[in-house]
Amino acid sequence: MIQIPAEFFAQIQENGEEHYPEEGAGLLLGKVHGEIRIVEQVLPLENRFQPGARHNRYMIEPQDMLLAEEKADELGLEIIGVFHSHPDHPARPSEYDRQRALPWYSYIITKVTDRLAIESRSWRLTDERIFNEEQLQIK
Amino acid sequence: MTTLKIPTPLRPYTDGMKEIEIESTNVNAVIREIITRYPALKPHLLDESENLRSYVSVFLNDEDVRTLQGMDTPVKQEDHLMIVPSIAGGLSSESAIAKVDHAALRTNQAMIIGLLLIAFVADLPTLALIVGVIMAIGTVLAKPGFILSYRLLRQWKVIKPEVLPDNPEPHSFAQGFGSIVLFGAAIAFGLNGPIVAWILTWVVIVLAGVNLFLGFCVGCAVYYWLNRIGLPLFRQESPAGRFPGIRPPKV
Repeated sequence: MIQIPAEFFAQIQENGEEHYPEEGAGLLLGKVHGEIRIVEQVLPLENRFQPGARHNRYMIEPQDMLLAEEKADELGLEIIGVFHSHPDHPARPSEYDRQRALPWYSYIITKVTDRLAIESRSWRLTDERIFNEEQLQIK
Repeated sequence: MTTLKIPTPLRPYTDGMKEIEIESTNVNAVIREIITRYPALKPHLLDESENLRSYVSVFLNDEDVRTLQGMDTPVKQEDHLMIVPSIAGGLSSESAIAKVDHAALRTNQAMIIGLLLIAFVADLPTLALIVGVIMAIGTVLAKPGFILSYRLLRQWKVIKPEVLPDNPEPHSFAQGFGSIVLFGAAIAFGLNGPIVAWILTWVVIVLAGVNLFLGFCVGCAVYYWLNRIGLPLFRQESPAGRFPGIRPPKV
């Protein structure tokens, strides 16, 4: 299960709305307590995918990941997941998402239609590289 | 000992270890050693061809090794290596692929072949150079060089558009490569080496012919292979389930 304070949840949904019709993305920083993950900071990042394809692609470059790792270390947190939006598409991982996903991270996907966040769901990749839905609790 | 830092998502495969010390001489040997110690890491670090996955980077003291000597970058005892994932995703593969009008590409190939054959038969090096220039202009504009011929043929209803899901960038790359070969031919003509010049011209004729008649774009295949080894300007991947460079099936 992933727990997320309402203000950070709103920030994730607003990020998707702001970037519409392109995909918005960022990282979730937080702590892991056994099976419960708690988001304590969200880090919106620039979509580094080439212009013209950002309506259906997002990319967070390794340099941004390095900076995020440093920030997480400073705050005593870990990168626990990734969020991104699917403009006009369901809040579930695509095959493209699955092929590039890393295990362990929580992937929060937000469906945005007409610049309005409709729904956010969280997913995790198994060792068999299959996505399972993870309970997302807004606190 | 060189220190290798493991990112959080891969720590479950290294018994929770955050940092691992490895005695090695270069980056490649470090990666091989870590995989030997923790075999479950392999599918997350290497692809089917045993190359580092395109979305996995290795940093040596805060510098991406791709900007150094790649996997052959030497490492010293006091160095810090980090495995850093880049995160990518998005909507489904099919909706992500752009559209390419393959009738326009085939017209382009036919024009290139026809004009270069005329240049060869009539011994007109200038014509070969003109074809190279038109291809170069097309590459810069991200269009087939002979797009105007195609538009005329369409207007006259000689040819119908055939718009297929495909990536345009590899075709641009292929055309650009062809124009460079023709510029090489022009230089060879200038240096009084007509045999080399005509061989280069024939390379372009043959590659365009393979594309036109066999449906295999050699330049596109090269582009996709460069993508696989992670060169930064080659971002498009070969569409799933298709051999790189093969013309997409009709829909």
